[in-house]
Amino acid sequence: MDLFPLFLTAKVSFIATFFTVIIGLAVALVMARRDFFGKRIVDVLIMQPLVIPPTVLGYYLLTVFGRSGPIGRFLEDVLGIQIVFTWKGAVVAAFISSFPLFVKPARAAFESVGKDLEDAARLLGKTEFEIIKTITLPLAWRGIAAGAVMAFARATGEFGATLMIAGNIPGLTQTLPIAIYDAVQAGQSSVANTLVGVITLFSFVVLFAAGRFTKGRF
Amino acid sequence: MALDVKLKKGLEGFDIDVELLLDEELLVLFGPSGAGKTMILKMISGIVRPDAGRVTLGSERLFDSEAGLNVPIRDRKIGYLFQDYALFPHMTVAANITYGSLDPKGAAGTRKVADLIALMRLSGLEQRYPHELSGGQKQRVALARTLASEPDILLLDEPFSALDYQVREKLRMDLLNIHKMFPITTVLVTHDLEEAFMLGKRMAVVNNGRIEQMGLREEVFYRPKTRNVARFMGFRNIFDGVVVSTDSLYAVIDCKGLGLVKAIRQPEADLRQGKAVSLCIRPEEILVIRPDRAVDPKIQDNIFECEIVSTIGRGSTHILFLKTGINDTLLKVELPNFVLRKLGLATGRVVRVSLKKESVWVIT
Repeated sequence: MDLFPLFLTAKVSFIATFFTVIIGLAVALVMARRDFFGKRIVDVLIMQPLVIPPTVLGYYLLTVFGRSGPIGRFLEDVLGIQIVFTWKGAVVAAFISSFPLFVKPARAAFESVGKDLEDAARLLGKTEFEIIKTITLPLAWRGIAAGAVMAFARATGEFGATLMIAGNIPGLTQTLPIAIYDAVQAGQSSVANTLVGVITLFSFVVLFAAGRFTKGRF
Repeated sequence: MALDVKLKKGLEGFDIDVELLLDEELLVLFGPSGAGKTMILKMISGIVRPDAGRVTLGSERLFDSEAGLNVPIRDRKIGYLFQDYALFPHMTVAANITYGSLDPKGAAGTRKVADLIALMRLSGLEQRYPHELSGGQKQRVALARTLASEPDILLLDEPFSALDYQVREKLRMDLLNIHKMFPITTVLVTHDLEEAFMLGKRMAVVNNGRIEQMGLREEVFYRPKTRNVARFMGFRNIFDGVVVSTDSLYAVIDCKGLGLVKAIRQPEADLRQGKAVSLCIRPEEILVIRPDRAVDPKIQDNIFECEIVSTIGRGSTHILFLKTGINDTLLKVELPNFVLRKLGLATGRVVRVSLKKESVWVIT
């Protein structure tokens, strides 16, 4: 049995989650701490991938990152990076669709730290960076970790948007969920069963781990 | 270090406009909940930015709206005790205390922290987490943490309000001792009159975002300048009146619902004939005269006959509500229990009371 979809899904999910956490932390911190004009609009935009149909999301991505799209042309002409119909497209799709699942709990975790604690640290002479390092992150890390686990799980299960932007090229862009779809279409029920089993077990472990993270000590 | 503050800020429902000047002393900001006391501390510390004004600590200007100056909180060297302590829940007592220490690893810094732990009676608790401490211990850790950062001034926001009575008593004494040892300029916010009186040599009464009166505590306590201050200071009997006659020593005031009352004239008080004034007396200063005895010549003035309408026990004392003859005005009198027993005072009895001239205070 071809294990390529499993490896590809793991690779795509890890990379997507990495970017989700790095960018998501900054976004969550700003959303938790700052008030700015249009904050609610930004909030709605971040949450869009949760409610928008994956195919619609994929269509948007295809438009933006495709040959004719502004970003797609820039990436291809200037940097020589092709997104559409490559595994990088799968990363982009996984990133966008898992982003809100990370930002929401991370923001809530930052908000739950409480302004008084951060002000107390400021009054004790600490810089903003020191405060984030010694107060905010240590108190918020459970929520952040839970969010990262959820984002990773969502990334592994991404189907619709991935199919639109990365396509279904066996051995190149065929991720696990797409491979399952393919197997069912082709009537290969034993392959489908195995892959479904892998995904199910994985999902169970992920939710169990996320639950353990959210159970706090403080 | 001298603290010189002038602050203005518009808030929902009211606005704050205060000026404060204090030196190495403990000033109490006293006032009802919602008067803006905490907001004043937050503006001094920089947590909240004032709309206008200035904050000067020693020779350094921390905030100046005209010059566009706003020193970051971390550079202000202000010790701030939050109402709920704001201890870091993921750090031990020791880690909390050393967190803001200027020299956490050095010998002098280590010794200082050890001294603070001993001083605050926290020995043996160093490795505990905040959730394993009692309210009083948390409060002491918070104070130790603040002192370890060697602040130039201390701002204490209702530091004892969350504690029960006995712990509060003890911690107030602790605070006074600590203030003697580290005579840091301190501003303490409270809405507890007893606490305000115990701790502050000077007191500023805050109401509705303004300082209604500021001065030595005895001055504020016994000589309130406004009706509000009188009310906050525990003058429960406050009456409107008009000056009928006045000489160099006394003034006679016609009080609505009470009659003529003679009061000692304060030299600086403006008590022209016909001037509208307020007259007040504390419940514990009203004298109930024994019915079987002749009135002592010294207290012949301001004798009123009244009926006891109700009595309420307050532990060691009783509060009596007395109805006077005119307009059913109620006088509130506080008496020790033994006096109540000795005089056989009970609801329905008619007694005479004296509002001693010395105890009557006139607000012009």
